[in-house]
Amino acid sequence: MALLEVSNLTMHYTTRVGDVMAVDSVDFTLERGRALGLVGESGCGKTSIAMTILKLLPENARILGGQIRFDGVDLVPLSEDQMRKYRWDHISMVFQAAMNSLNPVYTVGDQILEAIQHHMPMKERVARKRIAELFNLVGLDPAVMDQYPHEYSGGMKQRAVIAMALSCDPSIIIADEPTTALDVIVQDRILKQIDKIREELNMGMIYISHDIAVIAEVSDRIGVMYAGKMVEFADTHTIFKSPVHPYTYALMSTFPSVKGDKRELVELPGEPPNLIEPPLGCRFHPRCPRATAVCQEQEPVFTEVTNEHFCACWNQRS
Amino acid sequence: MLRYSLKRFIQMAVVLVIYATLVWFIFYAMPGDVTMKFIGNPKIKPEAIQKMRVQFGLDKPVYIQYALFMKSLFTGNLGISFNHYPRTVWSIIAERWPRTVTLFLTAIVLYYAVGFYLGKVIAWRRGGVADYTATVGGIMLWTVFTPWWCLLLIWFFAFKLDWFPLGQFVTPKVWMLAPVGSNFVFTRMLATGLFGPLAILVGWWGLRKVVHDSRTRKWLNWGVTAGILAISLLVWANSGLGKYALDILWHMGVPLIALLTIGFAGSMLLMRDSMLETINEDYILTARAKGLPERVIRDHHAARTALLPVATSFVLAIAFALNGAVIIESVFSWPGIGRTLVNAVATQDYPLAVGAYTFLGLFALIAHFAADILYAVLDPRISYKRGEGA
Amino acid sequence: MWKVRVKLTAKSLRANWGMFAHSKLGPIGLFLIVFFLLFGLVHPLYLVYRGSDKIYDPVVGFAYDLLPEGNPHPPTLSHPLGTDILGRDILGQLMHSTAKAFMLGLIAAGFGVLISTLVGSIAAYFGGFIDSVFMRLADVVMLFPLIAFLVALSAAIEITLFKLAIILAILMGFGGTTIILKSQALTVKVKPFIEAARVSGGGHFRIILSHIIPNVLPLSFLYMMFGVTTAIFSEAILSYLGFLNVRMSLGIMIYTANDSGYLIGSRLGTYWYLWLPPGLIISLLCAGFYFVGRGLDEVVNPRLRER
Repeated sequence: MALLEVSNLTMHYTTRVGDVMAVDSVDFTLERGRALGLVGESGCGKTSIAMTILKLLPENARILGGQIRFDGVDLVPLSEDQMRKYRWDHISMVFQAAMNSLNPVYTVGDQILEAIQHHMPMKERVARKRIAELFNLVGLDPAVMDQYPHEYSGGMKQRAVIAMALSCDPSIIIADEPTTALDVIVQDRILKQIDKIREELNMGMIYISHDIAVIAEVSDRIGVMYAGKMVEFADTHTIFKSPVHPYTYALMSTFPSVKGDKRELVELPGEPPNLIEPPLGCRFHPRCPRATAVCQEQEPVFTEVTNEHFCACWNQRS
Repeated sequence: MLRYSLKRFIQMAVVLVIYATLVWFIFYAMPGDVTMKFIGNPKIKPEAIQKMRVQFGLDKPVYIQYALFMKSLFTGNLGISFNHYPRTVWSIIAERWPRTVTLFLTAIVLYYAVGFYLGKVIAWRRGGVADYTATVGGIMLWTVFTPWWCLLLIWFFAFKLDWFPLGQFVTPKVWMLAPVGSNFVFTRMLATGLFGPLAILVGWWGLRKVVHDSRTRKWLNWGVTAGILAISLLVWANSGLGKYALDILWHMGVPLIALLTIGFAGSMLLMRDSMLETINEDYILTARAKGLPERVIRDHHAARTALLPVATSFVLAIAFALNGAVIIESVFSWPGIGRTLVNAVATQDYPLAVGAYTFLGLFALIAHFAADILYAVLDPRISYKRGEGA
Repeated sequence: MWKVRVKLTAKSLRANWGMFAHSKLGPIGLFLIVFFLLFGLVHPLYLVYRGSDKIYDPVVGFAYDLLPEGNPHPPTLSHPLGTDILGRDILGQLMHSTAKAFMLGLIAAGFGVLISTLVGSIAAYFGGFIDSVFMRLADVVMLFPLIAFLVALSAAIEITLFKLAIILAILMGFGGTTIILKSQALTVKVKPFIEAARVSGGGHFRIILSHIIPNVLPLSFLYMMFGVTTAIFSEAILSYLGFLNVRMSLGIMIYTANDSGYLIGSRLGTYWYLWLPPGLIISLLCAGFYFVGRGLDEVVNPRLRER
């Protein structure tokens, strides 16, 4: 059984101007110890999915349907009290812009301590030892544990937030744009570190990014999101070598490969659609070079193309 | 931290000088001087007036007058009161300021505590009937005409319900055979009020350093608090001054109710606005993701950061209490600095009026300074003057 | 060109009005203000209705029609809120004084905000030394507890309503509001089109007037509302304490009653009509303007708006 099974998940936000269908019938799975990458443009729903899994939704958001099965247990019907037991302890998250994830008036160590003491109460001395171990794991000097967030550099804050996410021994970590705010060199280092940790601890990971290069480096399988829907899902190799959805193909073509055949760089015209009133039929059809009449009328179904390779398109590439 | 304090201190000193200059300019450099009021008086001969002018140094050139004024101000010589001759202005102020401070400090602490709690709860609930009523009600009380509201309260509590006395600050009957003056009791009360909480805070700080386990520490904290409270009460009961303090507290009743009702809205709304801003911060989301219970997030994370502007406004409120002092003390006949100022002005006791007003200004200045320091202490980002670490 | 400006202003006014009408406190405040404005304006009509100036003049009238009963007199039909110690009709006094309070409030706050807008914009625009001077000055002015200062001042000079308006305008003009308006002006000043305007030869004051100030004005208007509250309140307090040289005002009404000993002990209840109405009106007037200010706050300050 997969560690995490998301099936037919739908979620929307209610705003003054209408309902935003942020996540629409999304399916994917995550195996123990594997890394899944969610990639797509801004606003495509990848962060929303993460928030929905942890049920960290604002008051105007509602899950309309679907299941989130974690280790067999469906999280959707759980109450807030029940959900709190799962948060951090089993599924934790590294948020976008980690800089702001830390409360400026408490030391970093205290904030990690808080998480530990809530889920796995232990003597403070023991907890501090654990934090020191975590710091070593992420590449931070344990001595800085008692400093304040504003005394850390950007890279240090990122590592600290990762350490905090690891603190309660979760089975899954969701990392939302973990390296966007960092320079390339630090980015590389941290990515490698995260990957190493994942292997060592045999954790499941969900990477969220708009940067395909990052996703490619760390994920075993990739889910491509567009306008709230998942359009393709396969292992990394397949996504890069033989993408079947036109959007995936366009994404892959946006960076040229050094080896391999020369491909024309495809430019995607237009903009992502308004999620309050998405286009009828396939949401990608206004920008799709392969769009036909059926695309404008019916939403394509997410089906299995080959073994463990899913796609939602009427005119898939072969 | 020290460097920051020093910088602010110097700035304050500069402002003090400017302030004193302005005070002098307005009160002493205006056309017409202190002796003017005696000119029409047939009992006072012109030569006596001239002698007075010499005594007051009014015949000297303007800049010398200024220099003399500044010198005497900074040496604490505020002159001699006309009406309370031969008492010096300073002695009168020294006698009266504890009464003002006791009343207003108590009031501010109370209404800030109430406002803080209400603001925190309302902001967390975000909207609803409670929010609306508290806001509208609070603001209406905030803008109410103070003397009118006080009269209303006096009529209701002191007259209708007869729970509290009708004014003044002591009951003559109780104090007739008192071994000490009211000031003695006041200063002792102030001391308890200031040093008690200070001792508690020191206790907490000490425990934090020594006891590492947060759970036992919490119990010890409560123990320390209860212990210090018990000791204070015992000391008061034993000293025999207990009933005098209680009498004073009884008289503080209606003024406190007035101040509480008028004042709570300010801190409540400030806390609410501050919380609303803090709630949108990312670290609140992180706290939720950590699976922490709502109350912990609200109190430990949101309120703590939202507290910063409220804490500074608390100290500033002390400065503005001086405004309130003038009004409240007049309505309740509470003989503190405010009432002193009003009486002095009404009876044209010039030195006392200026002295009282200067004192208020100085107090305000110190309060501002304390507010800056407090903010720096509470927000680690400010006192850390260096840039971010490597 | 100006036609376009008018159209744009009208459009934004309509949008802002929607927000204002939705704010919690704005409409209540507006209602209060309009109500009391009419209340004050109606006074001449009231006098005409009553007919006799000898009886109903708020300052020098005397209730001959209530003799031989003494004054102050509890409410009757001919004097709906009774008469005060000197036999003057209280309702008429209230109307007259309300109008006066409006005038004082609007003039003092209006000029005060005019000053702080100009000062704030100039300080933001020129920066440097001018900026520091005005900000330091604002710090010092903010330091003066207003009421205490006015009280102390009345020892030195005699304060009339007119002088009070000027003093209030100056204090409000150079005080804390300036700092806030300067920040607002700064947000405009750093925008690129200011540079562009300067490069294309715009004179300093022209830029300040036509670019910076219009952006500051909404906030100025907001703080003017709070200014009116302060002004009315200050005047009332000063009159109540007996330090304002004015013949009739809401505060004076309470002062007169207090000074003659009608507010002591049980008399507080018996002679309620001497102090309750004027105090109530002061409170409601101050509340009204403050509410409008808070309502405008939601319009101008988007962070406080609901999602």
